[in-house]
Amino acid sequence: MRRVAMVGAGMTQFGELFGLGIKEMVPMAVSEAVASVDKGFDRTAIEAAWFGELVPTDGFASGILADSCGLLDIPVTRLENACATGNDAVRHGFLGVASGMYDVVLVAGADKVRETSTQTTFWDWMSMTRDMAWDFPLGLVAPANFALHAARYLHESPATREHMAMVAVKNHHHGVSNPKAQLRFDITIEDVLNAPMVVEPFGLYDCTPQSDGAAAVLLVAEDVVDRYTDRPVWIRGVGLGVDRVMHAHKPDMTTFPPTVKAAKKAYAMAGIGPADIDVAEVHDCFTAVELINYEDLGFCEKFEAYKLVEAGETSVGGRLPVNPSGGLKAKGHPPGATGVAQCVELFEQLRQSACNQVDGARWALAHNVGGPTAVSAITILSREKG
Amino acid sequence: MIQSIGTYLPSWGKDLSRLPGDDEDVVTMAVSAGLNALASVDPGGVTSVHLVSRELPLLEGGNSAALLAGLGLPATLDVHEQSGGAPAALMTAASVPPGTLIVAADLDGGAGAAAVITGRSGSSLEITGRIARSLPVAARGWTGPRRDYGDPRLLRELGVKESLKELGAAKVSAVAGLRGKEAVQLCMGDPPALPTVGASAAFFALAGLVDRGELADLVAIEQASLALAAFGSGPVPVVREEPVARAPIATRPASDTDISISLAAYGRAFDAKLRLLAARCTTCGTLSYPPRLRCISCGSEEPTDTVPLSRQAEVYTVATIHVPVPGLGTPYTVVLAELDHAGVRVLVRLTGAPPGSVAIGDRGRMVFRRVAIRMGIPDYGYAFLPSPEETAA
Repeated sequence: MRRVAMVGAGMTQFGELFGLGIKEMVPMAVSEAVASVDKGFDRTAIEAAWFGELVPTDGFASGILADSCGLLDIPVTRLENACATGNDAVRHGFLGVASGMYDVVLVAGADKVRETSTQTTFWDWMSMTRDMAWDFPLGLVAPANFALHAARYLHESPATREHMAMVAVKNHHHGVSNPKAQLRFDITIEDVLNAPMVVEPFGLYDCTPQSDGAAAVLLVAEDVVDRYTDRPVWIRGVGLGVDRVMHAHKPDMTTFPPTVKAAKKAYAMAGIGPADIDVAEVHDCFTAVELINYEDLGFCEKFEAYKLVEAGETSVGGRLPVNPSGGLKAKGHPPGATGVAQCVELFEQLRQSACNQVDGARWALAHNVGGPTAVSAITILSREKG
Repeated sequence: MIQSIGTYLPSWGKDLSRLPGDDEDVVTMAVSAGLNALASVDPGGVTSVHLVSRELPLLEGGNSAALLAGLGLPATLDVHEQSGGAPAALMTAASVPPGTLIVAADLDGGAGAAAVITGRSGSSLEITGRIARSLPVAARGWTGPRRDYGDPRLLRELGVKESLKELGAAKVSAVAGLRGKEAVQLCMGDPPALPTVGASAAFFALAGLVDRGELADLVAIEQASLALAAFGSGPVPVVREEPVARAPIATRPASDTDISISLAAYGRAFDAKLRLLAARCTTCGTLSYPPRLRCISCGSEEPTDTVPLSRQAEVYTVATIHVPVPGLGTPYTVVLAELDHAGVRVLVRLTGAPPGSVAIGDRGRMVFRRVAIRMGIPDYGYAFLPSPEETAA
């Protein structure tokens, strides 16, 4: 396998982008990625593209990427893997280059959650991820899916709703200084605990907003990296894990086994362990999910995640900053774009140009978990070529 | 002969005027009452089923398969779906052969259901008079809305009293089909107070007359039509499921958003979902629910056995949805319930108790309910009914 470098990264603002369609957001993100390449980049060099979009809002997705970005002469594939779509798209771009098939590829991701009425969004999106006969008619909306895990987690671990609230406060604070974030305001523990209940135990501030947005990264082979930059970011590990689809078949709801499996593969490929990670962007669609992620990713022992937030270790300035971009919680969560945008943030972190810079970050980890908590994708990035 | 009686009342409303839960309809209530009647007999002796109601969920599309599935009876039994009130229920029960389950269920005027099973022992039931007269003070055509003529006095004087006079009826022990004072006026002594006025009232009346120790006359009334019967004094087991009524929970009503349905998926899932049947691996014995081609434990793809699952369960985890969800009233609670001695969990909604009122470890049982209405089609399955006394123990 060849080594694969990330040489450009860009994204749109995340938010309620009512004025922009997929056909605008995707070329905006791609153009920003192209413009970010240190030594310049001619997009005719792109040999293949992968496009992560969970729910196509304007029809034929790969055609729209090709058409809207002026990439009509290369293969384009739309990829969907629930909320792990973004990092799985990065994984596919990586495979295309590492295999020797292509020297230069584009990985983009986008979604428009706010394209349909809030009256129907739940059903529109649920029908993608639920068994039509068994789970769909129960009203197992996305927050309920994760709340079933969170309730059991709170039951078995010492963590409380206050610890969940600490995650929201932290990520909101990180989001304040990120110009691309959807929710750029500080909140307090009391704000979180007193907010209207969405799905118990999640109040409003325990939940990601509904977001529109797009993100893109450019990946190249080590053979050609010098043409584009002298300070590339290397993709050192990728992993994808899956699990039983139905909650009824998951023996332990206090963990996400897909994350454990994806992390094991990605760490092994990178030749590192969780203690080596300097900064991480993890899937905090709901606050308790970030706590469970700490344990599944090996950042702490089982049921000790609460200690990390209590001690501020995962805040910027702490031992292992998590979600310096604001995370899904404050930056926003357009699912297809989310994982790609995590890589955009970490590309900037490793090049020391992030808005909430983690001093001296050398190793970074991006993580998604989704579907009915049945899939996870992880990307490990480094300044070191290895 | 009436061999067994079972009743069911929803948890909501007032003791003698119940409201159905939003997951209940005539079929689900009929299943609950029917199972209570079946509890005292050998279900294998039941050879046909009658469902009597003025509120059958589907006029076209059929309620029988769901009813039989919920009752755990073979899909090969005769089912008679009958639109009718208390006289129809009473006359049916008195005229069918032994081995017939007759379930009557109502929504309007007090929700509830009651069922009787006929047999060769128990208590005799004989029709002693009947009359059909037309005075449609309430009318509902096949296209839908009910029209109320709005003259209760006319109904009493020209309807009920005239019909009773034509039959030469004296005062009776019980009246099915009228409320409170109206009923008491036609009775001698202290008639049983009934929670419904429709078809099921006839069987609630029988349940109320059991154990009186003497032959009892009763009358079943629907507008100006009525049936008189004599009910014997033999022993009849009565299983009542009549929980203390609770004030209905204020919920945000469901929007009219249609929840889509795949009838192909519905058809494939039907038996396992409505009969609570698991697949048992013939290689390693592991139960899978929903049934699946490949064993979740050993990977065998040999044909599986079908086995009924335990109905007793414990909450493994729970979530209560407060935000508006299209097509469903909120709040509602989803429970992942662990079935006893099965190694099987099922994801279901909470029923019969306020949303958010169960916790991890609480005990309960699986009961037949309507999970949703999807594109006009009732989608039945199971829900978790808490058993607080079992939890406390």
